[in-house]
Amino acid sequence: MKIIVNRQTCDGNGVCMGIAPEVFDVDDDLYLHVAEPIPEDGEIRARVRQAVTSCPILALKLVEG
Amino acid sequence: MAFEGIRRIVVAGGSLAGYSAVSELLAADFSGEIVWVTGEKEGAYSKPALSKEFLQGKSEHSELFLPEIADPRGNLRILRNVKCRSLEAERRIVHLDDGASIEFDGLILCTGATARMPAITRGMEGVLGLRTLEDALAIKAELARRPRIAILGGGLIGCELAASMRSFGFEITLIEGAPMLLGRTFGAVLGDYVRELHERNGVAVLTGATIEALEARDGRVAAARLSDGQVIETDLVLVGAGSAPATGWLEGSGLALSDGVVCDATLASSHPGIYAAGDIARWHNPYYGAEMRVEHWTSASAQGRAAARNLARSGVGSSEAPVAFADVPYFWSDQYGLKLQMVGRHDGHDHIEMQETADRAHPLLTFHRGGQLVAAAGVNASRAVMRYRKQIEDEVKARDRVAEPC
Ligand SMILES: Cc1cc2nc3c(=O)[nH]c(=O)nc-3n(C[C@H](O)[C@H](O)[C@H](O)COP(=O)(O)OP(=O)(O)OC[C@H]3O[C@@H](n4cnc5c(N)ncnc54)[C@H](O)[C@@H]3O)c2cc1C
Repeated sequence: MKIIVNRQTCDGNGVCMGIAPEVFDVDDDLYLHVAEPIPEDGEIRARVRQAVTSCPILALKLVEG
Repeated sequence: MAFEGIRRIVVAGGSLAGYSAVSELLAADFSGEIVWVTGEKEGAYSKPALSKEFLQGKSEHSELFLPEIADPRGNLRILRNVKCRSLEAERRIVHLDDGASIEFDGLILCTGATARMPAITRGMEGVLGLRTLEDALAIKAELARRPRIAILGGGLIGCELAASMRSFGFEITLIEGAPMLLGRTFGAVLGDYVRELHERNGVAVLTGATIEALEARDGRVAAARLSDGQVIETDLVLVGAGSAPATGWLEGSGLALSDGVVCDATLASSHPGIYAAGDIARWHNPYYGAEMRVEHWTSASAQGRAAARNLARSGVGSSEAPVAFADVPYFWSDQYGLKLQMVGRHDGHDHIEMQETADRAHPLLTFHRGGQLVAAAGVNASRAVMRYRKQIEDEVKARDRVAEPC
């Protein structure tokens, strides 16, 4: 599982971080950091998927595998 | 298998809630027919961007649109330039305004909201609201004349309009009836902060001020007369007076309506197989044990997806039961390059705490009620606000459990 961030549009809203803080972190400059590799844990992965679909500006893309 | 006995689903509304519902139906492998009545000329687009990047000229028309929904099975029919005119909930038929009628087994109502235009603002040239892309284009078309602008309403849209218009250096008067800007939205502390922010950026802010009438010259607005007698000369009036759920077409449908479509905790309306999502839905939020209508972007997408999943589970003989949609509301606003955010609901709070921030330049605060954290808000503090989100969710859940009779 990999996350692709559209840096052009990501504005550091942090909704992803609210849902899956294990993987997403927005710093004080509103820059999004993604902690990869993403843990195998099924519960965390379910929240990562939810985070991707919850991005208010759809700046996240998920590549499964 | 889900979707038992459901052959055709109509999704009404072509913005985020409808887009999310359709995406989820396809993701859940619905193999019947989906008819998406969008009421739009083009695809679904970002409404938040309209009052921000788009009006500031920082994003192009083409950048507003959400990605096209992949339809590998070819079972999605998208109807543009047409709206639903009426619904017969009992007979499961929607009538469109082009004369066509569609029978359905499932329906997801996502027709959102429309901008409220108070009586004094109607029927005069140079007075514009903002809800749709067409509205934003109409505002843009006015900017070449470098207008003096009076903004009616100091809520989220009014404040964002003021900030975006100031970026062009226009003379702006922001007029709000309440004693502060964004008071209902953000509470007094941030309300004061936002006022100072606007004043520092050169906006004339008038609070506790009501516009009694707009005066026209040659059919076009020329001045706003306030109830205290003050007259503000203006070339353009922008209206940010809130919104109302777009339920007009559902009058007489048989559905329970009350400032929105009345839904239970699973986003189901009063009629089986009919769900609602987004700005139009007044649903029972289990986290708060109360009915509410949330008019925020992220709720619209989460509700659209949840309504689609619950519709899938609602078929006769389904092995899965519909799941309650519980949500801690979240929204943000961008003004003068700053990001304001809030999670939770601050109404009824009895205590506010100012929190320390790394650079101390911007406020970060938490709202409490009866010793519990109920909301958090901050400026350029995504990380902190989002950390509180989890905590707020845990606390409202815990309160719920305490409140439940066992
Ligand atoms: C300018 C602006 C800025 C905003 N900024 C923010 C922000 O920064 N943060 C935030 O959280 N929220 C923001 N919002 C709120 C957010 O945009 C809404 O909560 C969201 O758009 C709701 O989505 P929706 O799909 O429920 O309804 P809407 O976006 O209202 O869309 C309704 C859809 O239904 C269609 N429709 C209407 N009537 C019919 C009919 N009879 N038949 C068929 N289709 C119909 C319309 O064509 C439209 O496609 C903003 C809103 C606006 C207007």
